[in-house]
Order: sequence, then C-alpha cells, then structure tokens
Amino acid sequence: MSILIGVIEEGLIYAIMTLGVYITYKILDFPDLSVDGTFPMGAAITAALILKGVPPVLTLFFAFVFGAAAGCITGLIHVKLRVRDLLSGIIMMTALYSVNLRIAGKANLPIFSQETIFGNVWLDENVPKVMLPWLTAIILFIIVLVCKVLLDLYLQTRSGYLLRAVGDNEVLVTSLAKDKGAVKILGLAIANGFAALAGSIYCQEKGFFEISVGTGTMVFGLASVIIGTKILKRFRFVKATTAVIIGSIVYKGCVSVAIAMGMEASDLKLITSILFLLILIASNSRGKRGRVHA
Amino acid sequence: MLELKNIEKYYNTGSVNEMCLFEDFTLSVEAGEFVSVVGSNGSGKTSMLNIICGSISVDRGSILINQEDITHMPEFKRQRRIGRVYQNPAMGTCPAMTILENMALADNKGKSFNLRRGTNRQRIDYYRDQLKTLGLGLEDKLQVKVGVLSGGQRQAIALLMSTMTPIEFLILDEHTAALDPKTADIIMELTEQVVREKRLTTIMVTHNLRFAVEYGSRLLMMHQGRVIIDEVGAAKAGLQINDILDQFNAISIECGN
Amino acid sequence: MKKRSKMIMMATMAALLTTGCGSQKEKPGTTADTAVTEKSADAENQSGGNNEAAYVIGIGQFAEHGSLDNCREGFLAGLAEAGIIKGQNLTVIYENAQADGGTASQIIDNFVAQKADMICAIATPMAQSAYGAAKKNNIPVIFTAVTDPVAAELANADGTPVGEITGTSDKLPVGKQLEMIRTMLPDAKKIGIMYSTSEINSISAIEEYKSIAGDFGFEIVVQGISTVADVPQAADSLLGKVDCISNLTDNTVVSALPVILSKAEKLGIPVFGSEIEQVRIGCLATVGLDYINLGEQTGKMAAKVLKGEMKASEMNFEVISEASFYGNNKVAENLGIDIPEELKASAAGLFDEIAAE
Repeated sequence: MSILIGVIEEGLIYAIMTLGVYITYKILDFPDLSVDGTFPMGAAITAALILKGVPPVLTLFFAFVFGAAAGCITGLIHVKLRVRDLLSGIIMMTALYSVNLRIAGKANLPIFSQETIFGNVWLDENVPKVMLPWLTAIILFIIVLVCKVLLDLYLQTRSGYLLRAVGDNEVLVTSLAKDKGAVKILGLAIANGFAALAGSIYCQEKGFFEISVGTGTMVFGLASVIIGTKILKRFRFVKATTAVIIGSIVYKGCVSVAIAMGMEASDLKLITSILFLLILIASNSRGKRGRVHA
Repeated sequence: MLELKNIEKYYNTGSVNEMCLFEDFTLSVEAGEFVSVVGSNGSGKTSMLNIICGSISVDRGSILINQEDITHMPEFKRQRRIGRVYQNPAMGTCPAMTILENMALADNKGKSFNLRRGTNRQRIDYYRDQLKTLGLGLEDKLQVKVGVLSGGQRQAIALLMSTMTPIEFLILDEHTAALDPKTADIIMELTEQVVREKRLTTIMVTHNLRFAVEYGSRLLMMHQGRVIIDEVGAAKAGLQINDILDQFNAISIECGN
Repeated sequence: MKKRSKMIMMATMAALLTTGCGSQKEKPGTTADTAVTEKSADAENQSGGNNEAAYVIGIGQFAEHGSLDNCREGFLAGLAEAGIIKGQNLTVIYENAQADGGTASQIIDNFVAQKADMICAIATPMAQSAYGAAKKNNIPVIFTAVTDPVAAELANADGTPVGEITGTSDKLPVGKQLEMIRTMLPDAKKIGIMYSTSEINSISAIEEYKSIAGDFGFEIVVQGISTVADVPQAADSLLGKVDCISNLTDNTVVSALPVILSKAEKLGIPVFGSEIEQVRIGCLATVGLDYINLGEQTGKMAAKVLKGEMKASEMNFEVISEASFYGNNKVAENLGIDIPEELKASAAGLFDEIAAE
C-alpha cells in the first residue's frame, strides 16, 4: 500500500511538469529540453528562499515566475536568434546548470529543518492525526487539480485558442495578424513555469536541493504525455490534461514495478528507454503525428 | 488603393543561381476591383502575392495601401487588413480544432486575444448562418474537428474565415487548384458571392483560364515578372478564353513549358 | 492494432521478468521473506548469534568507487562482528545510484516499499534522500561517508541527531595531509585540487585546505568540473600549473582517478590520495582514512540500533579520527621520490605495486 501512495505522490509531483511538457510537446509541437534545467531551477529557488525565511507557499509562485522567465529566454533564442527548437532547449538546459548552482549557492542545499508546504506549524495544528499518512498525497492532489483546472480554463480562452493554433497551423496565426513567435514564447513560458513549480514542490517534499535532480526530466515528461494520451485515447470523456497526469502516475508506477521486481536502480535509465521505445512504437502504429495535412 | 512601386526582387543573390524576378515592377489596384492574375510558371504571380502580404521581402521599391507605406511592416501586422486563402486547404484552418473554434478564432481577428472566453456564445448563431450560405451542411457539424473534413469543405471554411472580419482586400492564391472541378466551381461561386456581398478588393491568382475570364473585373497576365496583358472593365468582360489562350501558349512555349 | 499492442505488452513483461530473475554481482534477495544462502567472505561467526527474526537492511550507495565500496564492506563486517551476519539473520538489499540524485530517491522508495528495518546510506545525497523518506516511515537511517553531517542538516550543530538518523563522518584530516606533503616534497609550492561543483563535501574540504595551506607554505590551486567527462581537460589544465595534486573524497573526481594518474605520471607530477584505495591504484601517498574501518565503526552503530540497545536518535554521529600514512613505493620509484624513513616506519601500509583498478 505504501508503495502505491509513494507512486501516486511522485507521479503527482512530476505530473505538474508533465502538464508543461504537454503544452510544449503536444500543443506547440516543440520538443523543449529546457525543462531539464527549469525543474531544478524551481528546486534551487525554493531552497534558497525558504532558507531566507520566505513563506513556503510564496516560493511556489516565485518558482513559477522564474521558470516562466527561463522559458521566455528559450523562446527568444528560438524565435529571434532562429535557433532550432531542440537546440534552444539544450542551450538553456546547459546554461541553467550554472545558474542553478549560483542560485542555491552550492550543489546541495538541505532544508530539512525548515517549514515547507508539507510540514509546517499550520498543518501540525489543523490536520487530524488520522489523516497524516495521506497528507502529502492530499496536498499534492489539490495542487495538481488546481493546476489542471487552470490550464483547462486557459486553453478555452482566446489566448489559449491562439496557443493551440500556433502548434497546429502557424500560418493561420499569421493570417490572424498575430505574431506566431510571440505566441510560442508565451507557450514556452507557461510550460517552464509548470516545470519549475514541479521542481519547487519536489524540493519541499524531499527536504533538500541537489544539483543532479534535473537529469531525465524531459524524458519523464514525454513518456508520461505519450502514455497518457495513447492509453486514454479510447476514453473520449477524459480530457488530455487529465490523461497526462494519469500517464505520469502510470509511468512512475511502471518504473517502481520494474525496480521492485529486481532490476537494479542503476538500470533505471535503460528501463526508461526501453519502456519509452515500446510506447512510441505502440503509438506510432496507428497514425503519425503529422503537421499540417489536408 | 494598393500600389506596388518599382519593385525589385532577386532570388539567390550572389550565387550562380541568381535570378532577377522583378525589375522595376509597378502595379496599381483600385478599390473594389476583382483582379484575376494568370501566367506561366515562374512568371512571378505567387511571388507578387507574397510580396504584397509580406511573406517575402523586396530588395527595392515600395508597397502602399491607401497611401500608407507598408514595405517594412512585418507580415503578421499586414495581415490585419488582408484576408488570404491559400492553395493548400490545410493552411487556412486548424485541423485539431473544431469548426466552431476555428470560426471563433477568425472572428477574433483584429481584436485582443486575451483571457476572455474563446468562443463567444452569442455569436454561434451568426457562425451557423455564415456556414449555411456555403450550402455544404457544415452548420450542423460545429463540433467536428476540421481535420476530418474534405479539402473542399476546409477551403470553404477558410474562405469564410478570411473574410469574416473587415478587411481591405482579399488575396486568393490559386485557392481552387487543389480541388476537383466540381468543388472548384462551388468555391468560385462562393468566392464571387462573398466578394460581391462584402465589396472586397480582390486579387486572385489562378491557373484556370476559364475562371480568370469568367470572374473578376480585371485580368492580368504575367510573364517573367512583367504584366503583358491588362484588360479592365468592358474590355475584360468581352474577353473570350481563346483570346488569351493564344497569348498564353505563346509565352508558355517560349518558356519551354 | 489491439493484437499488436497486446504482443508488445507481453514482450515487455517477459523481458522484465527474465532480466529481473537474472543473477547479478552482489545482488541478494529482493523480498523481505527470502533468506539468501550465500555467506559473506569476511563474516566472523559469533556464536551468540541472534537467530530470531531476520533483519532487512537496505544499503544505498551513491556512487561506484573504491572508497565507498570499502565503506560498504566495512559496514557488513562491523555488523557481522556484532552477530548480524548476511546470509544468516540478515538480508541485504544493495543498490547503487551511479551518482544520480533521481535514482537515489528511487532507491530509497524501494527500500521503504520492501519494508527494510534499517537503511544504510553511503554518501551525502543518499543520506539526505533516506532521511526524508525514513522520517515518514519510521525507519532508522545510518549514514556513512558523509563529510559534514551538520552542513547537510543531518545532525544538529552540537552533534546530536535530528531524528532517527546517525552515522559516521569522513572528514578529511587536512592538516595531517598537508604536513605529510611538506615532508615528502620540501620544495613544492602549489597544490592542485580538482573537485566537482555538484558535490557539497568538496566545497567545505577546499575551504579548510585554503585556510591552513599557508601554514605549511603552500598555495592551493583549484579546478572545478561538472561531470566526469570534464576530467581529462581539467587535469591537463591543472597539471600545468601545480607541483602536485591532492585529492578530496569527491565522488566524481575519484571515479575518474585513473585518467588523472596517467596524465600526472607522464608529467612526473605526484598525486596524493585521500584514501587507501587511491594509493593502491597509483597515488603516491596519503594520510587518510581507512574506509573499511569507517564502515566497521558504522556497522557497529547499526547493530546497536537493530538489536534495540540504543536508538539512532540517541547516538551522536561519530567521526573517524585515526588517520594513517599509506605510501606506494612503486609510484615513488617512478617519480624519483624517496619516501622519508620516518613516514615509512609509521606507515600503516606500503604498496609495492600499482594495482589495476
């Protein structure tokens, strides 16, 4: 049972980042590697701010904002400097390694002794003891739900329509007299904001910031998006945003199962790759994700 | 109201393939004209459209709309006043979004794309009415994703979308070329209807000489970056296909087509 | 499509099952209920052995290199001395994170899921992951090879535990190392130190080096790297500026030590290690820690907690204070350096060969 809760908890933390990857990969059709840098950026900012006495809840907003700023830069590199999508992300991701080190001050920043959104005086006073083992999961569930609902609402606004249009048929966006570059930058900002938010929550849940937590974030996000959208394709009533959240939890579950079955944790990357490849094969066999086609 | 003055455009400057497309090209289009443009391949008709819209830049010369110089205005800004339908039916609509969402997008052209509701509920009836005029039954399919529709249906929607908001002129870039003859006819009739009702200044590039002759108030034939036939008004109305066909064949043979 | 996806799923399951059942080095049983029958080579059979319930310990090691491996061996030896013997009343789940923070976290989750009675965390990032998870699940954590537990917030400033977590610290005897270097190289002026920017222990060690190097007439030149791939170039750069190199217990650097050694050898520049393993594979000398000892000390602490004699929260973390001189005669010969007699006499170990890693 505790395995299940653990899987759900981690799945939910990463689900927030997955929502971001959903925006860039599925909606914008832009493979954005900068999340490998913005995820730990959220963690670094959070650890640094919490140690300075900033209320933990506030750090969530700061993380989002900074992540969005980083996403903007990725977008600017791509749009203004005309660097390819993949490369823009790689440039950002590499740069952010150093930036994050500076933000945190060191490679490893513990915040065990500090209050976080998962452990603080308010919670101690107001939460009944019987709920304690579920507390983290509940808090995470609420946060993810809020993020998901906000994203869904956004995608139904005029701005959201434009975002969807730019990934679907960017020529139309120009025909609508809007700057497609600006729309892409907005999308990247929102997505990386989510990634940084996820990083912030990760740091608060684990109790420390470590510079190496970012590696593999994009792969995780991609795998979750693909699992979510493919597995739940049959169920029309399930919105894409819900599907990717479920995908995140399922993916985390697969990894946990693999390890529990005896695979070494150091084989994790291999397991991830194989899983990912299998999912991609299964998803490619029915219809390709094409660009504009008549 | 649209003027192209002394346009110069070279392709592949500095390389072995350097080609002069336009040299001192000048053209004037009056408000309310419906101009059909025909020409051989490589005559520059599509490039001319791209220059007007801003998809490609010019090396020299200026473009004016109602006396306003837009030569250096970025493409997306120019599109405010321009409606454009492309040859590829896929380029005019968003396949992953529904007909309703596409209409709502088009309806918002020129206004702010802010955080208000994407689809204005009160306008849904208006969209339905607009779709009814197409006569394709699309008004009952508002929730269908555009990607599953046929090329003709998508092009019809694209036509509606490009003319939904007030524009100064309409650019039609061989918009029936990818359609079968019957659908092409339907779309042309629709085009004429829309242009007439909304009194749009229109530039239509087409390969179809019959359309060029039957529709529009002015005919241009282009060849190697120059206008070689320019018939307006009554003279144009009196044209028969054969009149221009000979000329067309002559230039085609010259090009080796 | 349905059939195909089913086939793919079945193929995956088959693959996972076969690899899961495959035997691997040092991989014991995976569930709390299977007792593994292999005996540990250095286990001393104490006959007052506790043969009641089997203990399950999850050993999480952050990276793969000699010093940490020695720690782990020492840990098991220390446990065995106290009567907790792998294969008899102890099941060990060992996982290595290969220096990846995400993997470390996953490993700890697995230990918790396997209902380990105790987690042994080797190196700081692993200890931190363990602390967080164990806090929620009431599993005691014993750490080792954590250079500064206070800075890592794994212990209070006065040394008392912050929870059910304690262990041993491998703080480097910097002063003694510098003294030894001065004895061996009377004319050397600059000492080069390579470190990884992602390892917190290295930063604090360098601070200490810098603060007392002057006392011995040395200047410290540092070179930071971010990944193992940076090592060759960083080594070239550093070796050009210094008279000798001294190592920290930096996991990233130590795992790439052979590269540094081969480059240094070509230039005739001595490399001083921080631990016995490093001297064995080619460092000139060290006044360093015996990680096996450190591990044993840790194992004994762990045994006390497992047997219920003391709680982790009652034991302050311990620092190993015994530092011994180890030298490598072959390396000295290659470099044309004489190891002074007084050091040789007091040496805890002298190697005559350079071992392949």
